[in-house]
Amino acid sequence: MEGRVFDAQVVLSPKDSPLGKVLSEYVCVRVVRMDDVDVGLFDRDWNNAIYFFVLNADEQVYMRYGGRESQSPDTYNSLDSLRIALEQGLVLHQKYLRGELPKQARPQAKSPRDMPLLVERTFAHRQCVECHLIGDFQNIQRERDGVLDKLTDLYRSPDIKTIGIMLDVPKGLVVKQATGAAAAAGLKAGDRITAWNGVPVWTFGDLQYRYDKVDRHAKDVKVTADRGGQSVDLTVELVPRWWWTDLRFRQSSVDPRLDFEDRPLSVEEKQKLGLKPDSFASQVKYVSEMAKIRKTNDLRVGDVIVAVDGLESDEFANTAELYLKLYKKAGDSATLEIIRDGKRTAMPIHTFVLSFRK
Amino acid sequence: MIRLIALAMLLVPFAFSQEQSIDWQSDYHQALKDAKAAHKPLFVEFRCEA
Repeated sequence: MEGRVFDAQVVLSPKDSPLGKVLSEYVCVRVVRMDDVDVGLFDRDWNNAIYFFVLNADEQVYMRYGGRESQSPDTYNSLDSLRIALEQGLVLHQKYLRGELPKQARPQAKSPRDMPLLVERTFAHRQCVECHLIGDFQNIQRERDGVLDKLTDLYRSPDIKTIGIMLDVPKGLVVKQATGAAAAAGLKAGDRITAWNGVPVWTFGDLQYRYDKVDRHAKDVKVTADRGGQSVDLTVELVPRWWWTDLRFRQSSVDPRLDFEDRPLSVEEKQKLGLKPDSFASQVKYVSEMAKIRKTNDLRVGDVIVAVDGLESDEFANTAELYLKLYKKAGDSATLEIIRDGKRTAMPIHTFVLSFRK
Repeated sequence: MIRLIALAMLLVPFAFSQEQSIDWQSDYHQALKDAKAAHKPLFVEFRCEA
């Protein structure tokens, strides 16, 4: 079970521990059933099995704590950074009590009981409304309604490492190392990130939530950092596919399942094969043993996929695998054009839906 | 099994101090009222245990 150690460490914090002393200044609530949670107020990426909010009795949210990367649910959870966040929460609360905190409009309340798919598939069977089911059914509903934007709704919670931000996790939003786009923008080790596109952020949870709100067509993000007491404003250029994350931990997501994985060809490899540099030509690196059983494809490791349904390039996809995930629904079919042993050939491919989603 | 033992060992110090640990409520709406009365902020954990 994800996050169980951190959960226990927080919940069982002794009152006389550093974290316990701060927690004693709060009214602490632990919600383990999502049946009646206000998904409007407590909006988040629902593929986090553990997540925290700091707010006041008027339901003004001060900050979020939690969030994860694809590889691990635990990377950004730390008792030290939680204590720092909660101390900041107390400062914000004092401002609120003194009337110094700007009022925020409360997000519109929304109940899981108003989500038809959750009612039909979960409440009706008296099953537990697990966190991820809220996110999964939101997306299935969007897909049914024709409003699913995969770049935003499926590829949630972009990874800050993709743009070169590595945090010193126990210290909250203090940068441990800046590389790539972040370094080019001037971000440095020791900087403490304080705002993301102009919105104050106190925790990794805040930062990831704000990053997730960035338009997937955006070219840059504005990052404000505290550097030795001075505020610095930086513009970080977003790299191609900055929004991409590995979806495999999102077990019930709506993306079509493919039974193969690929890697993008380099520009040189494309040149050798006479392919355009901007094509999404890719080489198959893995084919599931289930492909033959499910009769989804006849691909082999080493095959080069040069086109899907006659298309060779796309604004967002850099591989055929990503193209299929972005533009096909689970259960759709397509025609691949592949190069095998130097010969071009057409090959049908069928995608599939996870069995427990049917 | 090894992971379970490791988890148990990690939690032993916390289990012994459970009596002195924080009071956690389970009713969000009651907690809102309590926070209002005590002029305290709320710390809300959402935990999926399934």
